[in-house]
Amino acid sequence: MRSPTSSTRQAAGTWRTSAVRREAITGYAFIAPSVLGFVVFVLGPVLAAIYLSLTKYTILRPPELVGLDNYTKMLGDERLLQTYGNTFVYVAAAVVLINAVALAAAVLINQHMPRWLTVLFRSAYFFPYLVALVYVSIIWQALFQKDTGIVNYYLSTIGVAPVDWLNSPSMSKVTVIVVDTWRNIGFAMLIYVAALQEVPRDVVEASEIDGAGPWQRFRRIVLPMISQATFFNVTTTVIGAFQIYESIIVLTRGGPGDSSRSVVMYLTEKAFSSYDMGYASAIAVSLFALILVVTLVQFRMRKRWVHYE
Amino acid sequence: MSNHAVVSLPAGEAGATEARPVLPGDRPAPIARRRRGVRRVSAGQVVAMVLLGLGAVAMIAPFLWMLTTSLRSPGHAYDLPPQWLPTEFRWSNFADAVGGPVPILRNMLNSAIVAIATSVGMIVTAPMAGYAFARLRFPGRSSIFVLLLASLMVPAQVTIIPLFLMMSSWGLVDNLLSLILPGLTGALGVFLMRQFFLSLPESILEAARLDGASAWGTYRLVALPLARNGVSTLGIITFLTSWNAYFAPSILLSSTETATLPLALVLLLGPYGAGNLAQVMAATVIAIAPAFVLFLLAQRWIIASLTQSGVKG
Repeated sequence: MRSPTSSTRQAAGTWRTSAVRREAITGYAFIAPSVLGFVVFVLGPVLAAIYLSLTKYTILRPPELVGLDNYTKMLGDERLLQTYGNTFVYVAAAVVLINAVALAAAVLINQHMPRWLTVLFRSAYFFPYLVALVYVSIIWQALFQKDTGIVNYYLSTIGVAPVDWLNSPSMSKVTVIVVDTWRNIGFAMLIYVAALQEVPRDVVEASEIDGAGPWQRFRRIVLPMISQATFFNVTTTVIGAFQIYESIIVLTRGGPGDSSRSVVMYLTEKAFSSYDMGYASAIAVSLFALILVVTLVQFRMRKRWVHYE
Repeated sequence: MSNHAVVSLPAGEAGATEARPVLPGDRPAPIARRRRGVRRVSAGQVVAMVLLGLGAVAMIAPFLWMLTTSLRSPGHAYDLPPQWLPTEFRWSNFADAVGGPVPILRNMLNSAIVAIATSVGMIVTAPMAGYAFARLRFPGRSSIFVLLLASLMVPAQVTIIPLFLMMSSWGLVDNLLSLILPGLTGALGVFLMRQFFLSLPESILEAARLDGASAWGTYRLVALPLARNGVSTLGIITFLTSWNAYFAPSILLSSTETATLPLALVLLLGPYGAGNLAQVMAATVIAIAPAFVLFLLAQRWIIASLTQSGVKG
């Protein structure tokens, strides 16, 4: 498709090397700001973080190389294991709940219904995603108060005893998960809706004529056809949930104890409250490595279950 | 193929929202469907609408509660059962929130400064780089692009410690520039714009080149105007990301004067939510209002912008 143009260009190249060189110079000039930003604010800091993770650095004195000490320390750090454990729970919950609820909502919204209803539903589900997580968390922490919150009030009308949503070790993670799911289904849903609308109607109708039931039709025809959207949603929810932070700060402050604290909260605490920059960098690098591995695994598995037309 | 691709983004926008109007055509059609029974279909529809309706209530109710609570007198803020429609209108809560210990309007201005500066930076730098990676030839093009793309995998948490140290050595901690400078460029924008420019038909650019336009002229006068949709998508994504950001601001800013709005609201909430509830909700209403107004005005466009990357990805 693109070959005619590239051959034109090659021909042009042999005619006038100066044109080729001018194009290259323009190219470098065009990418220069972005590359500069990348080097200064991404590449440099990543390398610096890796270096710092091999040092003891508490701000007051220059960093001092300690080899892998920070990494071995991590293995025995109970608080780190706890916060990592919490984070894995958030990731698993996000992947399952956000995708299940969003897909269900997308399938429902894709049914025939008056147009104004479609627009209304889509807007209602999507709006929370547009609002800063901090703000919706502020609202929810008021709704989830044990004695004054309306969640417990409505539960009490159906005979449920007051739940300590924010200050009990058994519920704090659940509360964080509820808010995280509530806020993120809208975006995932829109991705699914867009994918569902691309599913050719005649294929579905053909299978209907062939006698496939609704569930079979969904399972065998629709689901494979929207697998690209599923892949995108799973990848973004995983990456997002690994970095979960401000909703926990507002809702539970990581507590009680460390019962809802995420690993990002722990690393910021280590870096900016204890000023243990070396150790905090090691945690950051471990988180990076983890996200990288999970993402790469997903991309490898993608070949097995994502279908392309 | 590339001719289709040109209209594919604007059409994608229409496709996401406009695909439904096909349905009126369904009305005279369902003879086959009627045979299998209209009732089964409509029962399913009703169930779908009821389920979605319940879900929609759960999505909207917290915002409605926020609004009514922001208008209550502090003594009634905790009244149960909750009233869903405001019965009193204590507008002074808003004045109190604005004039309280946290300078919310100032914080809102800070957020706006950072969001506008980073959006402008991004829509200048990213299209240029995206165009170069898509349409210009230079040695190292693909390896530089892959390297840049790899930075999409780098979470903010990894770079934040060196970034903080760097900003403090530049004397920029607690300065809005510490948020603006890193936000002026970004790999996501470059990636999106490259995709966009790849979808433009080569023939148009070729024509400009044969007319004797310089590389800059081709870009500025031909390619960039054609990429308007992509640029505005990028602008809105960048703006919203910055406007809603909490993590980096919470580390790089430290005083109430320089705080961005999300930080200010957490300050106002106070430890353990001990602040005055009606006032906190009034402040939250103020904080959410711009997003709400923007959404009302440009709902379709925002939805299309934000989902585009996913659908195309």
